[in-house]
Amino acid sequence: MFETLLFGMLAGIAIGCALGVVFHRNPVHCALLLVGVLISVAGIFILLHAQFVAALQVIVYAGAIMVLFLFVVMLLNIKGETPLLTPGAAKFFGFLFALIVFVELIWTAVQPSPEGQGMPDAAPLPADFGSPAALGRVLYTVWLYPFEITSILLLVAVVGAVVLAKRKFF
Amino acid sequence: MDLATLIEAVVKVHVVLGFVLLGVPLIVWMERKVLGHMQDRIGPQRVGPYGLLQTIADGIKLFMKEDILPTQADKVVYFLAPGIAVVTALAAMTVIPFGDTVTLFGREIPLRITDVNIAILFLLGATSMGVYGIVLGGWASNSKYPLLGGLRSSAQMISYELAQGISLIGVIMITGSLSLSEIGRQQEKLWFIVPQFFAFVIYVVCSVAETNRAPFDLAEAETELVAGFHTEFSSMKFALYFLAEYANMMVVSGVAITCFLGAWHGPLLPGPLWFLIKLTCFLFFYIWLRATFPRLRYDQLMAFGWKVLLPASLLNLAATAIVLTVMG
Repeated sequence: MFETLLFGMLAGIAIGCALGVVFHRNPVHCALLLVGVLISVAGIFILLHAQFVAALQVIVYAGAIMVLFLFVVMLLNIKGETPLLTPGAAKFFGFLFALIVFVELIWTAVQPSPEGQGMPDAAPLPADFGSPAALGRVLYTVWLYPFEITSILLLVAVVGAVVLAKRKFF
Repeated sequence: MDLATLIEAVVKVHVVLGFVLLGVPLIVWMERKVLGHMQDRIGPQRVGPYGLLQTIADGIKLFMKEDILPTQADKVVYFLAPGIAVVTALAAMTVIPFGDTVTLFGREIPLRITDVNIAILFLLGATSMGVYGIVLGGWASNSKYPLLGGLRSSAQMISYELAQGISLIGVIMITGSLSLSEIGRQQEKLWFIVPQFFAFVIYVVCSVAETNRAPFDLAEAETELVAGFHTEFSSMKFALYFLAEYANMMVVSGVAITCFLGAWHGPLLPGPLWFLIKLTCFLFFYIWLRATFPRLRYDQLMAFGWKVLLPASLLNLAATAIVLTVMG
C-alpha cells in the first residue's frame, strides 16, 4: 500500500517534470526539470530494490551529465525565443510517431498474459538483489562481452571528442 | 515500524542536524580566530568571551538585513538555489557514523542517522547534486560575475569529483563494503591512512576543491569576480550559502575521518568524542590551508585535477588491486 502510494507520487512527479521539459520555453528550466525526472526515476529504482542503479542514476546522470548540459546551455545563453513546435512536416511526423508509440503501448498493455488473466506474478527476489556485489558479479560474468563492447564504444567517443576539439590546432 | 524506532529516528535526526547547525557558527568563529592569529592579528574579541558570540551576532544581523531580489533575476531558481546547497549538504550528513552503538533503555542504538549499504555512493550523489546550488545561484542572478563563478565551479567540481570518488575505491576494495559504518568498524586495529596514504592525500586535495575552499575557491575569487556566485545574494540567502559551505566542510571531513583516520576509534575516550576531536583537527587543517596557500589560477586548477590527481588516483587504484590480489 505504502509502496504503491510512493510509486504513484514519484511517477507523478516524473511525468509532470517530463511534460515540463517538453513544454517549458526556458532551456535552463527544461534542464532542471530533466534533473527532476532523473531523480524521481532514481526513487522508483529504490522502490524496486535497485539501490546501486539508483545511486548511479543520481551521480552519473543528474550529478555529472546534466551539470555539463547546464554548463553548455549557460555558455550559449539561448533565449527562450525559439518557437514551441516547428511548423509543417516536422509537426506532422512528430504527432504521427507519438501516436504510433501510444497505440503500441496500449496494444501491449491489453494483451492477455500467457498464464491467463492480468500480469504474471513477480518472481521472488534473491536476498542480495540490486546490491553492488550481485550487480558486479553478473556484469563481469554473464554480461561481460556487452560490458566490454560498451566500454570500447565509450573509448571511441572520447577519442572522437579529443580529435574534434584539437582540430583547430592543426 | 514501531513507535520506539520512530522516536529514535526523530531524536537522532534532531541531534545530528542540531549539531551541524550549532557547529557552523563555532567553526566560523574558529576560522576567524585562527586566521587572525596566523596573520598576526587577534581576530574577533568584542562580542562575548574571546569573541565567541561574534558569529551569533553576525547571524542575527543577516536575519535583519533587507532581502534584495535583483530585477533581472530568474525568481524561482534564485529562491531555489541556496536551498539546494543547504539540503544536499545536510542530506550527506545523514550517512556519516559518529560512533559504534550504545545501549539505551534496553535498545541497541547505532550512532548514525541511517546505515544504507551504499552510503559512500549516497554521499557522492549528494555532493554531486550540491553543484547545482552554486551553478544555479550564479546563473539565476543574471549578472556577469556570478555567472562566471558558477561556470567555474561546475567545471571544477565535476573534475575533482572524479579523482575524489576513485581515491575512495581503494578503501572500498580493502573493506569489501560500501557502508561507512562497516568501513569504520574495520579500522579498529589499523587506520586506513597507512595502507592508503596516497588515496588520503588525493582525497583531501579533492575535498578542498569540492567545498570551494581556498586555495581552490575560484568560484568566489573576490579579486577578480567581486564575490563570485553569491555576489547578488543578500540576507538569509547569503547566510544559507555560508551555512552550506561549512556544513560541506564537516561532511568531507567526516568522510575523511571515517574512511582514512580510524573513524570513531581511539584509546580511553568514548567513540563520539574521538570523532569530534578528529573533526576539529581536520577543520583546523582546512583553515590552516586557507591561511597558507595563495589561490590557484583557473587553468592550473583544471590541469592539476585532470593531469595529476586523476592519473595518481588511478595508479593508486591499480596498485591496491595488485597488492590485494597477490596477498589473496
